[in-house]
Amino acid sequence: MKTIVAMLVTLSLIGVVSGGGLAMLSSWADPLIAANKKADTERAIFLVQPSAKSYEKVEKVAFELYRVFDETKNPLGYALPWEGNGFQGKVRMMVGVSADLNTITAIEVLDQVETPGLGTKVTEEPFRKQFQGLVAVPQVDWVKGVPPTKENEIQTITGATISSKAIVGIVNDGLAHLRKDMAQGGAQ
Amino acid sequence: MELILIFLSAALVNNFVLAYFLGICPFIGVSNKLSSAFPMGLATTFVMVLTAIVTWLIYHLILVPYHVEYLEYVSFILVVAALVQFVEMVIKKVSQPLYRALGIFLPLITTNCAILGLALFIVLKDYSFVESLFFGVGAGTGFTLAISIMAGIREELDLADIPKSFRGAPITLIVAGLLALAFMGFAGMITV
Amino acid sequence: MKKQVSLSKEYAKGLWDQNPVFKQVLGMCPTLAVTVSAMNGIAMALATTFVLVFSSFIISLIRKLIPSQVRIASYIVIIATFVTIVDLVMRAQFPDLSKALGPYIPLIVVNCVILGRQEAFAAKNNPLRSVLDALGMGTGFMLALASLGGIREIIGSRTLLGMQVLPDAFEPWLVMILPAGAFLTLGLMMGFLNSLVERRKRRDEAAVLAQHMRTPAAAMLEGQEG
Repeated sequence: MKTIVAMLVTLSLIGVVSGGGLAMLSSWADPLIAANKKADTERAIFLVQPSAKSYEKVEKVAFELYRVFDETKNPLGYALPWEGNGFQGKVRMMVGVSADLNTITAIEVLDQVETPGLGTKVTEEPFRKQFQGLVAVPQVDWVKGVPPTKENEIQTITGATISSKAIVGIVNDGLAHLRKDMAQGGAQ
Repeated sequence: MELILIFLSAALVNNFVLAYFLGICPFIGVSNKLSSAFPMGLATTFVMVLTAIVTWLIYHLILVPYHVEYLEYVSFILVVAALVQFVEMVIKKVSQPLYRALGIFLPLITTNCAILGLALFIVLKDYSFVESLFFGVGAGTGFTLAISIMAGIREELDLADIPKSFRGAPITLIVAGLLALAFMGFAGMITV
Repeated sequence: MKKQVSLSKEYAKGLWDQNPVFKQVLGMCPTLAVTVSAMNGIAMALATTFVLVFSSFIISLIRKLIPSQVRIASYIVIIATFVTIVDLVMRAQFPDLSKALGPYIPLIVVNCVILGRQEAFAAKNNPLRSVLDALGMGTGFMLALASLGGIREIIGSRTLLGMQVLPDAFEPWLVMILPAGAFLTLGLMMGFLNSLVERRKRRDEAAVLAQHMRTPAAAMLEGQEG
């Protein structure tokens, strides 16, 4: 009996001390963690909309969407976080698009688990650069092995064809959702 | 369809042992004989499925509603430890043969990082209850597969002439590396 | 009562004689998973050492108050608490590092090195010795992770701590930063270290033999090794 009491008392004491300590620490850390997350999103928005000066979250849509403005508060376009399947797992990206949704400003890969050295090349400058100013109507297309001839085409990376196609797929999928929402007047 | 993909992805493409390095301790420790490796895999799978269920419930019914997500690690590891103890007791009561087959492996499972890893991944990937279940079964199957293949190879290795300083852990790691390379062949076949 | 070893030895034994990775083959998950670069390895080892030192200190302080039936449960709760502290602080102050190490920070909870040291050492020794032991093990862990991470980073991406060390002409071996590379590198490193130890042991034996009984065989052995 005595040992059972001792066991219970020790365990609950340790539990209370640890829980209390963590509660205090978490009340300090939570705002900082939230701020880090916000800074990350903010950085990605300005990366895909280089000429933007400010942004606001579009509230009326079912997904995350940011509208960006120039210095005189004229709407420039949108920054759309979107995710889809890559070669080995989820790829999360930020897509910048003009206000009429016809031209991509830039893209940025936020999270990915592609094969290091091959699939990860889609996060690098040479590949991403192809998307700057790319025409996105009717949709983005890809070509393999030859330089793109149409203005809505990009060239896939040798050795990372699936990852390259995945990026194109995510961009198209995100834009399709955005257009559908626009047609219904949701994002206006 | 999505559920089958989650299962296959956890079992083959993102194999817990060979791609995430979870559960390496038993993978190296208990993989010298197929006759012990396979039951170990089964016991681990069993605990994994239970863990997937219980930790999902705890996270979504207790931790989230009361905003105490910071107790995640503490509560998960306690749950795993308690669960293993509980499973051991139940098996002992219900089936003596099963207990004799799995009993000695159960305590080892508590410190198997694959179990806690599974619980953490379920939270990280924001799986639904059913998805978590499939993920748990898939991860367990993957673990069983990896440890059984490894045991099969090591039984053959016993007959091979390995330099003295490479016997034991070093050669096991090298073989695991080759296995990991082989499992990379599954990548891209299934994407989740 | 077991013989007391000197305090400096309490620290130093973790570096090599009982190195958690190379000698005890413990804590394999983080060792293999995060060592794609030397920096990741060092960060992981620092986080682990922090948890190890503080858990050892606390557990050694209250070791006589914990009933033995619930000691493992108590250890686990204390370890998990410190891991949560590390995780929260890293996410708040070093978000990039926390992203790189991902879910392997919470997995420090089940790093067998930590629970192993509590059970094998902190539960039986005073706080000073426990902290020294923990620091030693932590340093040993860091040596292993930094060297493994360094080797994989140099061959896998031509850099060390982010600076390029190999010329562009060297085509990086992608396999080194893939999971398979982790297993292969650690396996080869352990085998190589074992063979060094073997060789030294043989030389020591030969030296002892030669000193005590100057047999022709021993003299010959000594000559060979020298």
